[in-house]
Amino acid sequence: MIENFLAGTATLFGDPFTIGIFVFGVLGGMLFGAIPGVSMLTLAAILLPFTADLSPAQGVMLFAVIYCTGTYGGAITAILFNIPGAPENAPTAFDGYPMTQKGMAGKAVGAAVLCSAIGGVASALVMMSATEPLAQWAIMNIGPPEIFALVFFGLAVASSVGGRTIWKGWLSVLLGLLIATIGQDPVGGINRFNFGYSDLAAGIAFVPAILGFFAVSEIFIQAEKNVSGKYLAPKFNVDFPSFFELWAHKIAVVRSILVGFFCGILPGIGATLAAFMGYGEAVRWSKNKAEFGTGKLEGVISSETANNAATGAAMIPLLALGLPGGALTAMMVAVFQMHDLEPGPLVFYNSPELIWIVFAAMFYANLSILFVGLIETKTILYLLKIPFQFLAPMILMLASIGAYISRGLVLDVIVMFIAGIIGFLLRRSGYSIPGIVLGLILGKIGEQNFAQGMQMVHYDLGTYFSRPICTILIVAGVLTLLKSLHSAFFQKPKVT
Amino acid sequence: MGKLSRSDIFEAIFWLLIAVIFFVVSFSFNQPIEIYKFGATGWPRVILFLMALVALGNFYHAYSKGSKAQEGRVGAKENDEPIEYTSIGQYFKTGMVLILPLLYALSLKPVGFYSGTPIFIALIMIAWGERRVRFILTNTVLIYAILIGLFMLVLNAPLPQGNMSPFYDISAFMLKTKTQLDQMF
Repeated sequence: MIENFLAGTATLFGDPFTIGIFVFGVLGGMLFGAIPGVSMLTLAAILLPFTADLSPAQGVMLFAVIYCTGTYGGAITAILFNIPGAPENAPTAFDGYPMTQKGMAGKAVGAAVLCSAIGGVASALVMMSATEPLAQWAIMNIGPPEIFALVFFGLAVASSVGGRTIWKGWLSVLLGLLIATIGQDPVGGINRFNFGYSDLAAGIAFVPAILGFFAVSEIFIQAEKNVSGKYLAPKFNVDFPSFFELWAHKIAVVRSILVGFFCGILPGIGATLAAFMGYGEAVRWSKNKAEFGTGKLEGVISSETANNAATGAAMIPLLALGLPGGALTAMMVAVFQMHDLEPGPLVFYNSPELIWIVFAAMFYANLSILFVGLIETKTILYLLKIPFQFLAPMILMLASIGAYISRGLVLDVIVMFIAGIIGFLLRRSGYSIPGIVLGLILGKIGEQNFAQGMQMVHYDLGTYFSRPICTILIVAGVLTLLKSLHSAFFQKPKVT
Repeated sequence: MGKLSRSDIFEAIFWLLIAVIFFVVSFSFNQPIEIYKFGATGWPRVILFLMALVALGNFYHAYSKGSKAQEGRVGAKENDEPIEYTSIGQYFKTGMVLILPLLYALSLKPVGFYSGTPIFIALIMIAWGERRVRFILTNTVLIYAILIGLFMLVLNAPLPQGNMSPFYDISAFMLKTKTQLDQMF
């Protein structure tokens, strides 16, 4: 492994053009992740046609680097503006934004930098040493029933965080699941709920929906506060967390690495569920559950470690099975196809140099988060000083371009602003936007795997329980739902 | 009425209406799929059934316990001060902030990005309560220049050009200027 890693490093840093692409990916991912309104997906969508001029290794490496640094970059906007750069940064905002409101933005961003780097580097190391055996294990043990069970568990966890009451948490997730059914059904390709619009046959694209629910609705919330004279500018602060503050959360870091890696390895699930489950587990194991959501450093640490730990793991199903784990890894499949390659087990034998340059680049990209991220963070915190009258139209415009570019459809910009209005109204009433988005992302994956699973077991649900991983996940999901149902009926409302 | 507020009743009606409307629409694609017993409607109908059920639970919760946040809910922002509207002007201003972006999106096809964007930027600043003419003009030009510089000149991103005269001609002029700049450098 070490020889291969060194060979990958030599190829990566042996050619000035490849170094240039690496540096561009590191800075571009961080920058696009950290600008509210656009994300690493916007950059990836713009760059996709240009990768045809690169070698396959350079093209895939560029996207892998953007994936690592963009996942971190999205935490900045989640913390500073309550606008997650990507869905995997949504749980980061739960505690990150309250920390900014309390004047602790520097601590939150500093923790995000360090934990993203730790999670990413750990994930890259495991990925390098275990991709082949893990891929073998996944092929043998993970099938559609397990993926459906994990989606079920993930949605159960998501509904229990966010939302003023458990009922509102569930309704949020169900709305996301319903939106995900718009477009063709995953088995027969029959058009559903397109209301006569042919553009809706492809479904609601997830980039505009996310931008609408997160970025646009946040602008509307701030605008409403501005109109009623209740707008308070976030407090500027560049104090980073001390070593001891971070060391106190070492168990949360290790737990989130494990959770993130496990979620990332499963095809189609990706870093989003990893972040939610990392956060959910932090809440579950904490002695001070009530402090979560009010600006607790552990919330930021858990979410950011888990989502970056998933980046390396997400490469395993992509490279070993040819199955993308999320939107950006799906674009990587397109890069492979542009060069007449198919990701899958044969890539390890036919193009080992490609695999190892990607692995090496991801390792160094995660390391560079630590160094470049700390320098960038000091600068990016000055965003808080920009008046919101300037920032609001800028964010709306960047979001419009981000939504349009992914598919070149004006409909996506319209969908984004409608999602923004719906998100604004639902947030005012205490519903959970991350819940809606997770339902939207996991809905199609869940339905597809449920359908495949049912066909596999000849519609005998009992067979699901003869598979140990599936049983554990379903039981865990049911227990999570029962626990929240118990609290819905027997817990008193908060006295405010 | 228990502890129900008007918004709780609206919410219940909203969710139940969604469930009913989508359920009725689901009959329009209720075709059998040979290889899948539950067809295209099975999954969405289960979601709609659960949605109706949870909406009733939500209504009962509001009826018996009010709409305050449950203890221990994470990320619910229950500490945020509720915004209360004291004048019609406030409704109008918030309404403008909500509607303007949607109008901009609807105008993108006929008007295009290059002509519609500066007008939208200025209008949204006004809707935000900004009244200083110099601030609006300077920042409109600055934001427009940043967007054009980044997406049109550096990243070469395709943006909507519009299909109505004279907006289409303005877009064509911008793209022609960009091509000339590319040739110069």
